[in-house]
Amino acid sequence: MEALLNTGSTIDEGRLAKGGSKYTDDYTKECAVCWMCAEDFTSLGCPEKVAVISRDRKYSVALSTKVTEAMRSGQVFIPRSIWANVVVEPDTFSTGSPRYKGSPVFVEPTDDVILSAEELVTKMYMGGK
Amino acid sequence: MVYKNIICPVCGGSCDDVQVNLDKENGTIDVQNACKMGSAKFKEVVSSHRLLKPTIRENGKVKDVSWDEALEMAADILVNAKKPFFFLGSETACEAQEVGLHIAEYLGGLADSNATICHGPTVMGIQESGMVGATAGQAKNRADMIVYWGVNALESMPRHMSRYGVFPRGYWTKRGRFDRTMMTVDPRVTPTAAASDLHLQLNPNTDYELLSALFTILNGKEPHPSVEEITGIPISVMKQTVEMMKESNFVAIYVGLGVSSSYGKHRNIEIALNFVKEMNNYTKCNIGALRGHCNVAGFNQLASYLYGYPFGLDFTKGYPRYNPGETTCVDLLREKDVDAAFVMCADLMDHIPADSAQYLADIPMICLDIAPCPSTTAADVVLPGVIDAMECDGTFYRLDNVPVYFEPFTDSPFTETKSNEDTLKQLFAKVKAKKEA
Ligand code: SF4
Repeated sequence: MEALLNTGSTIDEGRLAKGGSKYTDDYTKECAVCWMCAEDFTSLGCPEKVAVISRDRKYSVALSTKVTEAMRSGQVFIPRSIWANVVVEPDTFSTGSPRYKGSPVFVEPTDDVILSAEELVTKMYMGGK
Repeated sequence: MVYKNIICPVCGGSCDDVQVNLDKENGTIDVQNACKMGSAKFKEVVSSHRLLKPTIRENGKVKDVSWDEALEMAADILVNAKKPFFFLGSETACEAQEVGLHIAEYLGGLADSNATICHGPTVMGIQESGMVGATAGQAKNRADMIVYWGVNALESMPRHMSRYGVFPRGYWTKRGRFDRTMMTVDPRVTPTAAASDLHLQLNPNTDYELLSALFTILNGKEPHPSVEEITGIPISVMKQTVEMMKESNFVAIYVGLGVSSSYGKHRNIEIALNFVKEMNNYTKCNIGALRGHCNVAGFNQLASYLYGYPFGLDFTKGYPRYNPGETTCVDLLREKDVDAAFVMCADLMDHIPADSAQYLADIPMICLDIAPCPSTTAADVVLPGVIDAMECDGTFYRLDNVPVYFEPFTDSPFTETKSNEDTLKQLFAKVKAKKEA
C-alpha cells in the first residue's frame, strides 16, 4: 500500500525520550508503531507487523500496527523517533529540514523482527559494529 | 530540600513554576507542576542510567577514560578534520552554544542546531516576509481566538494550552477557556484537535493551498472550487474560519512542523505570515512557532547576533556563509560533505533520515550528552553532560524569543566540569593548543 507518512510527538514518546529511556522496551513499544485507520489495516490483511519502506525502497523498518480513528485512509503515523526517521524523505528542498510530514512510503505486512533503538543504530547505521 | 520557581529545560515553553524536592542522601526527587515530559527529565538528576564517565571507542571497544584523555581525543578528532561539523543541540544553554560556535569558527568548520531540522523553514519564511509576533504573555492576556496549525500542542508542549494558550485567565479573557475559541488545523485527529471547537482536517501537504484559499476569501474573492478536493475542506468552512477570525479581538496562531516540514516548507510559512499581515487590516492577529525543543530559539538568536545568520553556518571560507540545503546538517551529512562531527545535547542520530544517520555513524564523532541514546552508541568519544537549569545556570530563549535566565538547584555531579559551557571551554583550550603547536 502507498501512503503518506506523518511523524510527530506523542506524550509518552516525549516522556521516555526526555527521561533518557530510549533503550527500554517501553520506548520501543511506544515508538516502533505504525498507526493507520481500520480500512487500511483490513486491506493489508490485518497484520500484526508491517514494514514501512522508503519511496526509493532503499530503507525499510519493521513496526507493530495500531488501528486508530485518528488516521484517514492513505495516511500513516509513526511517533517521532529513530524508527520513523529511517523512512523519512531525506531531501530538504533547500531548507535543511527533511520531510518529517508527508513523506511518501510503502506499507506492507511483514514477519521481520522489530529492532530496538540500540539494535537499529548498531545494525542499520553502524554496519553491525 | 524544596526548591521553588525552577525553570524546566525540556521544551520551548520554559515553564518557570516547577517545584522540586531533592533528597540527595537517598537519591530521590519529587517534582511538582511540570508535565510528564518535564518530570521525566528532572528525574535524570538521580537516575541510574545517567552517563557519569567519559568513554572512547578504541579498536571497536568502548572503554572508560579520564576527562583529560577524552578531551584530548576529542580535540585530536576536531583538529585533524578538514571540515569538522558542530551540531550544537538545543538542550543546553546559549552560553555553551556560544563556545561551540566559536570553536567552529576557529577551525573553519560548520555549525548547525536542532533549530534547522525543527523550525528552520519557519525562520526562512520569516526572512521572506517578516512576522507579526507577540510574546506569550500578550497572547495570554489578549487572544480570544487560538489557532494551532500543524501542531499537536498537548503532546509537544503539554502545558502550552494551560499556561499561555487556551485555559489561563487573561486580562481581556477573564473567564479563561470560556472566553476563547480554539481551532486546530491538522490531518490527524490529535488530542489537541479533539479538544478544539473547530478542527480543519486537511489533506497532508496541502497547507499552502488552504492558506491561499483563506487569503483569497479574506480579500473578498471566491477561491477556485478545486481547492475543496485538494485540501479536503469545504469552501463554506473556510469562509466560516475567516469570519471567526475577523470577528475576534485578537487571534493568536501557533504553527508547528505540520506547516514548516510538509511539502511547501518555508513557502507555507511565508504565505501564513502574509495572511496574518492582511488579517491585521481587520483585527489584531499574530503568529508564532511552537518550538518543541528547549533552547532552539536561543540558537537562532545567538547565531544571528554573532554571525548574521540564524542556522546552517559555514566558516570554511574564513567568514560566515549561510545557504540552507548546502550548509545545513541533514544535507551536509547526506552529501558526505564533512569529515568529523561534534554533537552536543541532542540525539542527532535519532532525528535525521537514514542516509544522513549512516554517514554520521561512519565519521569520527564526539557526543556530549546525559543519557545513553543512539548518538552516544555511535560516538567515538562520549563526554558526560551537565543538566542545565538543574545543575548549572545559564540562558534559554523561550518559544516567543524571550530570554530566560535560569539558576540551578543542585551542583554538577562532576569535579572536572561545572557546566557544558565549561566542558566546551576546556575543549577549546585543547583545540587551540594543538592547532598552534
Ligand atoms: S510544557 Fe515544556 S517547559 Fe513546561 S513542564 Fe512541560 S516540558 Fe517543561
